[in-house]
Amino acid sequence: MRRPWLLGLLLALVTAGIVALVAGSETSGTGAENVGESGPERVATPASAERGRERRCEATQSNPGGTNNYIPDAPERDSLGSGFVITGLVRSADGCRPLKDIRVQVWLATETGGEQDNRASVRTDADGRYRIETAPTIPQFGEPNIHVGYDDGRYRDVFIRRVVDLDDARAVVGLTLARRG
Amino acid sequence: MADFRTVALGAATVAVIAVPVTLALTDRHLADASAALVLSTAAGGLAVSALVLQPLLARGRRIARHQILGTVAFVLVLVHVGALFAESPGDAWFALSPDGPTRARMALIATIALFGAVTLGALRSRLSLGGGTWRVLHAYLAAVVIALGIGHAVLTDGALDDAGTTVLIALGALGLLGIPAAHAARSRRARRGQSSGVSIP
Repeated sequence: MRRPWLLGLLLALVTAGIVALVAGSETSGTGAENVGESGPERVATPASAERGRERRCEATQSNPGGTNNYIPDAPERDSLGSGFVITGLVRSADGCRPLKDIRVQVWLATETGGEQDNRASVRTDADGRYRIETAPTIPQFGEPNIHVGYDDGRYRDVFIRRVVDLDDARAVVGLTLARRG
Repeated sequence: MADFRTVALGAATVAVIAVPVTLALTDRHLADASAALVLSTAAGGLAVSALVLQPLLARGRRIARHQILGTVAFVLVLVHVGALFAESPGDAWFALSPDGPTRARMALIATIALFGAVTLGALRSRLSLGGGTWRVLHAYLAAVVIALGIGHAVLTDGALDDAGTTVLIALGALGLLGIPAAHAARSRRARRGQSSGVSIP
């Protein structure tokens, strides 16, 4: 080896690059926060939604991977099995008001099939909440993940991908929708 | 005494091959799973074993086995990835994208390093690298493959959780420690060879 310092420098730079690449990634993918919960189910409350029209909530942003395996117009279904729950509060960015009768689409990989097999449309109730029971999630691609989407036109489209832990009982995914235009 | 050592080494090799893939394939996440996911899991589990055994084979005189197993490990990784693409192309592309999770980033870098290590091995006689430089580069790439490959498996939920994680970390440590041990063994043999006029490939 004629120039060992040169080889050492090269490998140190490559190592620094690898460390930067790994450290620069997000554990579950960009923007995929963990929304899993276990224990008794809590009812999401629209925090002081009634107060003041000037109040504004930050709209939920789509995140990368949100549209993975999305098939438009999932059938309206009461459940996708039992053992896991996807629930959340849907509200308007303007005024933070709960939005009733909003169609939310969910899809996920469960013990009964992949993401394209387990999809459903579910509507929010008078309090702006949606809830659907599904079969338990599976880590088809290394981590259980769920998708929630809205693309019915009144508000801006939102497609999000979130993760849960294997032993979680539910995923709580709230959506804050911004008006188009 | 030599027989006992051979038997013990053989039993350890069988355990290194059988334990990860058995734990991975018997995990509950594969209940009712597609053939592609089962194939991907099996190939990934066997690739872990192949990588851990590689330094052991590099110690010996017959380097051809080391070369063959290196190629086998690379093919297993390609099968692992190919089966994931068959399972869900969208999720596979996302995993490899800049927005993919850390475990996928680790897997991608480990795969590139494995390709580099196998290519270095195949082109050794044609490259104008000195023997020392070649050995350092090959060992470096091997260490990257084992560290990030095992890291990828540890961060992956489903297969090889709990006891499986302990097995993975133990195998990773064994593989990484095996790299300097293989170098030391080959250096000792080379010195003995030089003193007796026999060259070591």
